[in-house]
Amino acid sequence: MAIETRPFTTEDFARNPDDYYRAGYVWQVPVRVTHWVTALSITALFLTGLYIANPVFSPEGEAWKNFTMGWMRKIHFAAGFIFAVSWLTRAYWFFAGNNYARSGFPMFWRAGWWRDLWHQLWEYLKLKRGPIHLGHNALGGLSYTLGVVVLGAFQILTGLALFSQDAPTGPMNRLFGWLLPFLGGPFRVTSYHLLAAWFVFTFVILHVYIVIYDSTQYRNGLISGMITGRKFYQRGDKVQDTWLG
Amino acid sequence: MPSESMNIRASTLAGWPMTKSLSGPTTYEVLRDHGVDRRTFLKFATGITATMGLEATFVPQVVHALESKPRIPVLWMEGLSCTCCTESFIRSSHPLVGDVILNMLSLDYHPTIQVAAGFQAEEIVDKLIHDKPGQYVLAVEGNAPLADGGVYCLEGGRTFEDRLREAASKARFVVAWGNCASAGCVQAAAPNPTQATPIGKMISDKPVINVSGCPPIPIVMTGILTYILTFDRLPELDRLGRPKMFYQHRIHDKCYRRAFFDAGQYVQSWDDEGARLGHCLYKMGCRGPTTYNYCSTFKWNDGVSWPVGSGHGCLGCSEPGFWDDGPFFQRLANIPQINIDSWPETVGKVVAGAAAIGAGAHAVSAIAKNAVKPTEKVPVESSSGVKGEE
Amino acid sequence: MSTRVVVDPVTRIEGHLRIEAMLDDRGVIRDAMSSGTMWRGIEVILQGRDPRDAWAFCERICGVCTTIHALCSVRAVENALGIDIPPAASSIRNIMYLAQQVQDHLTHFYQLQALDWVDVVSALKADPAATSALAQKVSPGWYPNDTGYFKDVAVTLKRFVDSGQLGIFANAYWGHPAYKLPPEANLMAVAHYLEALKVQKEIVKIHAVFGGKNPHPNYLVGGMPCSINMNGDNAIGMEQLNLVGQIIRTHRNMVEKMYYPDVMAVASFYPEWTKLGGGLGNYLCFGEVPAHGNINDLKSLRMPRGAILGKDLSRVLDVDPTDPTQVLEAVDHSWYEYPAGTTTLNPWDGVSKPRYTGPKPPFKNLDEKKPYSFVKGPRWKGNAMEVGPLARMLVGYASGRSEYKDVVGEALGALKLGPEALFSTLGRTAARVLETRLCAAWLEEEFNGLLAHVKAGQTATANTTKWNPNTWPAEAKGFGFVEAPRGALGHWIRIKDGKIANYQAVVPTTWNGSPRDEKGQLGAFESSLLGTPMANPKLPLEILRTIHSFDPCLACATH
Ligand code: HEM
Ligand code: HEM
Ligand code: NFV
Ligand code: SF4
Ligand code: SF4
Ligand code: F3S
Ligand SMILES: [Mg+2]
Repeated sequence: MAIETRPFTTEDFARNPDDYYRAGYVWQVPVRVTHWVTALSITALFLTGLYIANPVFSPEGEAWKNFTMGWMRKIHFAAGFIFAVSWLTRAYWFFAGNNYARSGFPMFWRAGWWRDLWHQLWEYLKLKRGPIHLGHNALGGLSYTLGVVVLGAFQILTGLALFSQDAPTGPMNRLFGWLLPFLGGPFRVTSYHLLAAWFVFTFVILHVYIVIYDSTQYRNGLISGMITGRKFYQRGDKVQDTWLG
Repeated sequence: MPSESMNIRASTLAGWPMTKSLSGPTTYEVLRDHGVDRRTFLKFATGITATMGLEATFVPQVVHALESKPRIPVLWMEGLSCTCCTESFIRSSHPLVGDVILNMLSLDYHPTIQVAAGFQAEEIVDKLIHDKPGQYVLAVEGNAPLADGGVYCLEGGRTFEDRLREAASKARFVVAWGNCASAGCVQAAAPNPTQATPIGKMISDKPVINVSGCPPIPIVMTGILTYILTFDRLPELDRLGRPKMFYQHRIHDKCYRRAFFDAGQYVQSWDDEGARLGHCLYKMGCRGPTTYNYCSTFKWNDGVSWPVGSGHGCLGCSEPGFWDDGPFFQRLANIPQINIDSWPETVGKVVAGAAAIGAGAHAVSAIAKNAVKPTEKVPVESSSGVKGEE
Repeated sequence: MSTRVVVDPVTRIEGHLRIEAMLDDRGVIRDAMSSGTMWRGIEVILQGRDPRDAWAFCERICGVCTTIHALCSVRAVENALGIDIPPAASSIRNIMYLAQQVQDHLTHFYQLQALDWVDVVSALKADPAATSALAQKVSPGWYPNDTGYFKDVAVTLKRFVDSGQLGIFANAYWGHPAYKLPPEANLMAVAHYLEALKVQKEIVKIHAVFGGKNPHPNYLVGGMPCSINMNGDNAIGMEQLNLVGQIIRTHRNMVEKMYYPDVMAVASFYPEWTKLGGGLGNYLCFGEVPAHGNINDLKSLRMPRGAILGKDLSRVLDVDPTDPTQVLEAVDHSWYEYPAGTTTLNPWDGVSKPRYTGPKPPFKNLDEKKPYSFVKGPRWKGNAMEVGPLARMLVGYASGRSEYKDVVGEALGALKLGPEALFSTLGRTAARVLETRLCAAWLEEEFNGLLAHVKAGQTATANTTKWNPNTWPAEAKGFGFVEAPRGALGHWIRIKDGKIANYQAVVPTTWNGSPRDEKGQLGAFESSLLGTPMANPKLPLEILRTIHSFDPCLACATH
């Protein structure tokens, strides 16, 4: 069955009551690109970060022949900058992109957002399928905001502050160095950076699981949507999140 | 009771006026009379310039200062401390502490080594404050306990807090020695029972220079005093009020074990094979990566060694609050208020584990209930609320 | 009681000490109070922390006797957990301990005490040539001792004095009739004052070698953190050991040829001070310098454990600080609060809860009938005790140890005095230098011991079998002791669930500087001042002489 991408109309339904899917263009290119850049860089950051925190394997032989920690740190810093750029790009697209690009924002001043939040939570807990959102549901949006936007910003800021120590007279130090004393000194900042890394990982676990579950339960093409940009919906779904306004 | 001796007043002894105006001989004059020729003097000046972490271009300025300036009066006060800042100071070799005391500074008040005691000692402070306002350097070792009206440190029947504020009000510069004076040190560790308070938090009307470390390296101490004597100003300070010339770099940046750090070769337990080969002490809790001090650059005790050089990680003794960043042998901090061992790791793993378990349980119950039936057609519930894409 | 003399601050000591002395109308001290006026609460801060970290906190109890509290702390923890340290670590600790003794005693004599006996002003009148002759007579083998050297010192001193900026020598007691040395002896002493300043920083390089720095070298529960590798260049190797060996040899020479002759020379001018300042006559030692890793093998100790009561040198009493009835601390005259119904506590159950009840500062006087000090009142079997070099020399002497008999006998013989002269201000000062002689000699032996371990391939410096807290019992208690430069030191620790449940230190100056107790027994400082005549109550030189002879450390005492 061919998939049409335009929205349902009453005529569509009248013509074919069994009509199953329509696909909506949701994730524009920058959202998709930044999504995967973010996904890859966070993965690299977490793995290299874990090694930095606790270097579990050690090479044999002369020190000058090895550079294990050195590489881990270099990869971490490179991934860190890539992540930061990706974060900024996505932040820009929040304003420049389509409505779905803004749909993740927790609109806690709107009763509709709260309703959607509880509604979605209950659906997940009761293992029930509810209407499909094309953009983010309130719960998903909230978790991205906390898990990626806020934690990501914290990691970027603390990471850059820690990084700025390598060049005490450099511009990075002037820009971000003040964060170290502000947050209780570099040792504490390292600890917070590490703690937050685990929270980021927690988000990733929940995110990946919920993506698989949601995609299977709602049959909304969630996973492929992050590649193609299109998500599926069915007659009767709320194709646009009502609380978005 | 012998009567003549009753009349002896120390400050009126012949030839021993207690204070004169600031017109004493200069360092150069003193050194010259000490049998030091001009060449040696210039070498001394060059050495001191290097001590201060300054480039050779500053030598003429230092020479000029040493030639033309009389010894600078220093009022050294001790609050709650362990006195090892004094001990460290008297270990100075560049310049020798004897030269510092006799030729560079006028250490007018220093309770650990001065001769006068009791009210004769107090008198010196009073005179300095009244006769040389704005001219003396107040060097503070230790800090002031503010709890219970300051009674945890008393001197001459007064609180140290009271004496400190008075002395600071007329000082030209305030030097805070060591971690005690600059950040509170061990007595300010949780729960800080005496409310020991760093000097910089008590004095706001004039610059305070934090010469951190527990204790600071002698050369850093004499270097700072020489700088003040030479330039009559404080050197450039970092965000924590520490002189950049000595506290700009991390221990880790200049550590001779850094090659092992980069290679990924670490001491795994005390006195293991790695320890004997001098591997990096990172996993033994070394705070070098987050500690700003001069140790890995200059070392201790005339360059004999330094903490990492002798197999123990850096404790982070020049950083505020380092006592509460323990345990010292552990890579990651316990934060005492939370007090879970290696808490970022533990808390992180617990949270992530809980999330994984939650997701797993959700998946299991979904499969068990057969709730998700991807092959089945999904029944359409209602037709309401259909909205088009913009 | 006609006059009340207050000396506050007492200077040339560590920390904040206040002395109040009550004089009768002939100017003789009839009662005295010693008040420690600082408190930091290290024992409180230690609660709940990791016992393996405790040494670092404890070390910061004092920077003058740095090393000592760290050593005591690791011993206490090792005792609680049943950890024996490897022989090389034991030797290293002994070497560091003995180096501290030598450095601390030397610095105390020259920098903190000498100027009670040496008149710097009088040194200006000295003839450098005559001074040189005197120096050569007092110690033929000590250089520099030529006329030119003393002339240089004299010129520096004169120039310094003429500047009018007298620095640390300002407003002092120069010209006081109690100064008895001739100008030449004064000049020689001033020269050696400066020598000692140079020397003290050399000895502590031994700490830097093994502990990374001084003040405040690093320690480790289970041994020492410095590994030994004779085939590498990144651990303790031949270069470091050579340096240590060389420092030990030069400093032993200095102790024998400068410090000891100087003390003897000064002592010969002040015979009256062998009769003053004796005080309690009760002496206590915990013992020190174990032969191998097990500190509790008391027979192996170079400094014996024991107590002497009432100056009775015929009997050395057994001491057991782990017997909870022997060492008890009272706070009836101290600014602390004990649980209701308790008057004394054994340190394992000790409590350090401050309660200041003194006058609101600024104040003029304290009241001896009320609590008046942050120093607690430790008692051994109910007795106020003196601790320190004199206590150790007396216990060693009375135990019949030959090294002790030799050095004590030699000094008393040279001064033509009997053993009773030791119960005095000068006795305390002399005991310190005699002990330094022993320590400097032992230092060589301990160093040779370390070399022997290394040669035998016993280079392990840490025992990590019980490093992990899950190898520990749920509850444990331990006792660590050190004969600190100023006397017997004990740390009592309780460990529960891997954390410090209680930590109490009873420190040398806690004993010596203790206030009076319920029974009216004075502390050692207080009692030593009784009977001393003061030439001029405004110039407290006599008080300083006796108090300095104890080498007080108030940061230690109150912690
Ligand atoms: C197999 C892997 C993944 C798939 C299929 C996937 C899929 C998706 C989908 C479908 C959304 C939109 C969610 C919605 O509309 O409710 C989304 C959003 C997001 N995902 Fe993933 N994701 C994956 C892995 C990751 C990973 C590993 C990360 C990060 C470590 C990540 C980070 C994000 C972020 C930050 C968003 C918010 C997008 C935005 O609003 O910019 N994803 N993901
Ligand atoms: C989601 C993002 C990130 C995660 C999960 C993460 C994770 C980690 C972890 C676990 C550590 C080890 C902490 C420790 O020392 O115990 C670490 C260290 C570090 N991270 Fe990140 N990080 C992230 C982002 C960044 C960014 C954006 C930067 C910026 C360049 C950065 C720079 C650093 C630096 C400089 C260190 C210290 C490296 C060292 O001490 O040698 N991090 N990171
Ligand atoms: N009293 C004392 Fe100490 C010593 N010696 C130590 O335990 O000086 Ni600060
Ligand atoms: S900073 Fe450290 S070394 Fe200095 S007085 Fe304080 S505790 Fe002692
Ligand atoms: S020993 Fe410490 S300071 Fe040196 S490289 Fe390793 S972590 Fe850095
Ligand atoms: S503990 Fe302190 S002495 Fe130096 S190496 Fe670390 S800053
Ligand atoms: Mg105590």
